[in-house]
Amino acid sequence: MHFLDRRVLLISGKGGVGRTTVTVALARAAARAGKRTLVCEIANPEGGPSAIGRLLGLDGVGPEPVAVGPRLDACHLWARTGHARFLQSVLPGKALVRAALRSRAVDKFLTAAPSFHEMGLFYHLLTLLRAERDGRRRHELIVLDMPATGHTLALTGLPEILLRLMPTGPIAAALREGQAVLNDPDQGAAWVVTLPEQLPVTEAIELLAGLSETEMPAGGVLLNRMPPDPFTPAERAALDGWIEGRQVFGEVAFRRIEAAAEARARLEDRVEVPVLTLPELGDEPVPGLVGALANYMAVDGGGR
Amino acid sequence: MTGPVARMLEEKRVVVCCGAGGVGKTTVSASLAIAAARAGRRVLVVTIDPSKRLAETLGVERNPPEPVPLPAERLAAAGIVEGTLAAWMLDPKLVSDRVVENFARSPEDARRLLDNRMYRNITAMIAGLQEYTAVEALHGFVMEDVYDLVILDTPPSRDALRFLDAPDRVAMFLDRRIFNLFVPGEGSAIRRMATRLIEKVMDVAFGEQTRRDLQQFFDLFGGVLDHLNHNQHEMRAFFKQPDIGFLLVTSPAREALAEAGFFARKTRDELKMHLCGYVLNRSLAAQAGYAMPDPAALPDDADPALRSGLSTLAGLARVEQQKVAEHLALAADLETRAGDGFAWVLPMLGGGAGDLADLVHLADVLVAERPPGHPDSEETP
Repeated sequence: MHFLDRRVLLISGKGGVGRTTVTVALARAAARAGKRTLVCEIANPEGGPSAIGRLLGLDGVGPEPVAVGPRLDACHLWARTGHARFLQSVLPGKALVRAALRSRAVDKFLTAAPSFHEMGLFYHLLTLLRAERDGRRRHELIVLDMPATGHTLALTGLPEILLRLMPTGPIAAALREGQAVLNDPDQGAAWVVTLPEQLPVTEAIELLAGLSETEMPAGGVLLNRMPPDPFTPAERAALDGWIEGRQVFGEVAFRRIEAAAEARARLEDRVEVPVLTLPELGDEPVPGLVGALANYMAVDGGGR
Repeated sequence: MTGPVARMLEEKRVVVCCGAGGVGKTTVSASLAIAAARAGRRVLVVTIDPSKRLAETLGVERNPPEPVPLPAERLAAAGIVEGTLAAWMLDPKLVSDRVVENFARSPEDARRLLDNRMYRNITAMIAGLQEYTAVEALHGFVMEDVYDLVILDTPPSRDALRFLDAPDRVAMFLDRRIFNLFVPGEGSAIRRMATRLIEKVMDVAFGEQTRRDLQQFFDLFGGVLDHLNHNQHEMRAFFKQPDIGFLLVTSPAREALAEAGFFARKTRDELKMHLCGYVLNRSLAAQAGYAMPDPAALPDDADPALRSGLSTLAGLARVEQQKVAEHLALAADLETRAGDGFAWVLPMLGGGAGDLADLVHLADVLVAERPPGHPDSEETP
C-alpha cells in the first residue's frame, strides 16, 4: 500500500526541522496525485500567526476548510468548534444546546478544564473525517501538522488517555470512532520529520520508540534538508586529510555532508519504518519538496 | 572574564534562555553554565526536555528528583576548579506532585488528589501548569541560596511564551470562579443555575462518572490553587528584578530571527523584564578572514583526486563565503537591536555540539572580550 493511501497522516517533529513546510508539501503532492486533500494545523489558542497560512498564502485560516488549490483545502483545528459540534450532537433539545453554547460558564469550563481542550480538537478532527459532500467523502486524506512540543506523544496517545478519563457517555463513543480510524494501520499513520544531524536523529529515534508504545501506527521518517554530496569517495578521502587544520571556506559544508551521511546511516540502522530523504532546498522549498515526494510516490506504486 | 556575557554571568542570579525550537538553546545554556562555573560561581542549569546526549555529556540522568552535581572528573575535565555545576532536568509531574504534597489542605487531601484519575492522567495537559511548575522550581532554587546563578533553558517557541505568561495563563485555569461553578452547593442563585447547567451538560455528554471525578479533582485542587494564586503575584515581581536576565538565542534562520524579535518585544517592551542580549548560534561569522580553497595552488604532482575534490569544494566555498558575509551583517544588525545589551556569535560546530570539549570551547567563546568575527576583534584568523 502506498504511503499516502491513508485517511489521516499526523506529521510530527521538533521545532526547526521544517515540519510545517514538509506537511504542506506532502498535502500538495497528494492533491496533485489526485486525492481530495485537507491540510490542518492546530490553532494556537492565543491566536497569532498561522504557519500553514503563510506557506499557502492565506491571510487567515479558520475552522472551516477553504480551497487553496485544485483538490486541496486547508483549515485549523479549533477546540471551541469541536466542543460546539459535540454538544450539538449529544444534547437533547435545542433549548439545552442553545443554553450550553451561550453560557459563558460552560465555555470557560471547556476552555480551562484539563483535557477538554484536547477533546475539542479531537472531536473537530472527527467531524472533518466524517464530512461528506455530493454523496462521497469530502476529503480522502487529512494531513495534520502536529505541534512542535513534547506533546506529540500526548496527542497521538490522546484517545486512550481521554477514554481512561471519560469511559462512558457519548464522548466515549466518539473517541472510539476516531480511534478506530487513527489506530488502524490501513487508515492512519504518524510520520516524523527530522534533519540529518546527530541530535535531531536521536530525537526521531526516541520519538518513534515512544510511538511504538501507543496504539498509533508509525508511518515512517521524512529526513528533511539532506545536503547533496558532490564528492567521489577518493575525493572525499583526499580532502579529509588536506582540509584538517586549514582555515578555508567550504570546510563547514564539507564536514556537514559527512555528518549528514553518518546521521542518515544511523537513522536507517535504528528504525524499522521507511526513511524518505528530502533534499536541501533554498528559501522556497515547497515546490521542490512536492517534486521529491512525487518521485517517492512514483517509485512506491504511483499512489493510486 | 571581561566581555559582556562574562559580566552577565557575574552579575545575574538568574539567566533565562529563550528562543525558537532547534536553535541550540540547551547547548547555549549548558555552555553558559560551564563558563560561569569556571569563573568560580555555584551554578545550576535547569532544562526542560533536553536531548539525551546533553544529559550524558553533563553526566546526569534524566528526570532525577533533585538537581545532580556534575561528577568531580567532569568538573575537572571542564576546567571547573572553584565553582560548582549541577544540572536538573525538570520533570513537571514531579514538581506538581510536590506542590500538591506541600499545599493541599491536608495530607489526606493530598493523597486523594494524587490518586484522582483526572489528576494522574492529565497534569501534563493543564495549560500552563508545566511552565508554571518551572517558574515555581526556579523561584525555589533562588530562595534556597544554594546556587549563585541559575540558568533556565525554556521550552521551545510558543511554549516559552507560555512560560513568560505562565502566571496569567494558569490564572485562567486557576480562576476561582470556574472552580466554584463546578463545586456544587455554594453561591448565589445564578451561580447555582450555572452549576446545574454544567452538571447537566457534563452528565449527558461525558458521563456521570467523569463529572464526579472532575468535581472531586476541582474540590481537592482548591487548596493548592489558593497557594498558586498567592504565589502568582510574587512570581511576576520576581521576574522583573534587575538580577534576573533574559537572553535570546537564535540561529541565522529567518524563522528563528523572527521569533527572537518577537521575544525581544515581549520581554523587554511588554513585560518590562531585563533583556541582556542576543546569542547568534550556529553562525559562520567566525570564519571571516578564511581563505578560498584553490586547486591551482597545488603542486603539479598533487593527487588528482585532491585536485578535482578541491575544484568541487571551491563551489561550496563560494556559497559559504557569501553566507559568512550575511552572518556578519546579521550580527551587526542584532548588535543594533540589542541597544545597551550585547549580540554574541557562536560558531557552527562540525557534527553539532555535544561532547564536553565542545561545550567548553563554546564557553570560552562566550566569555571572550569580543565575539568572533567582530570588526573590533583584534585577532583575525
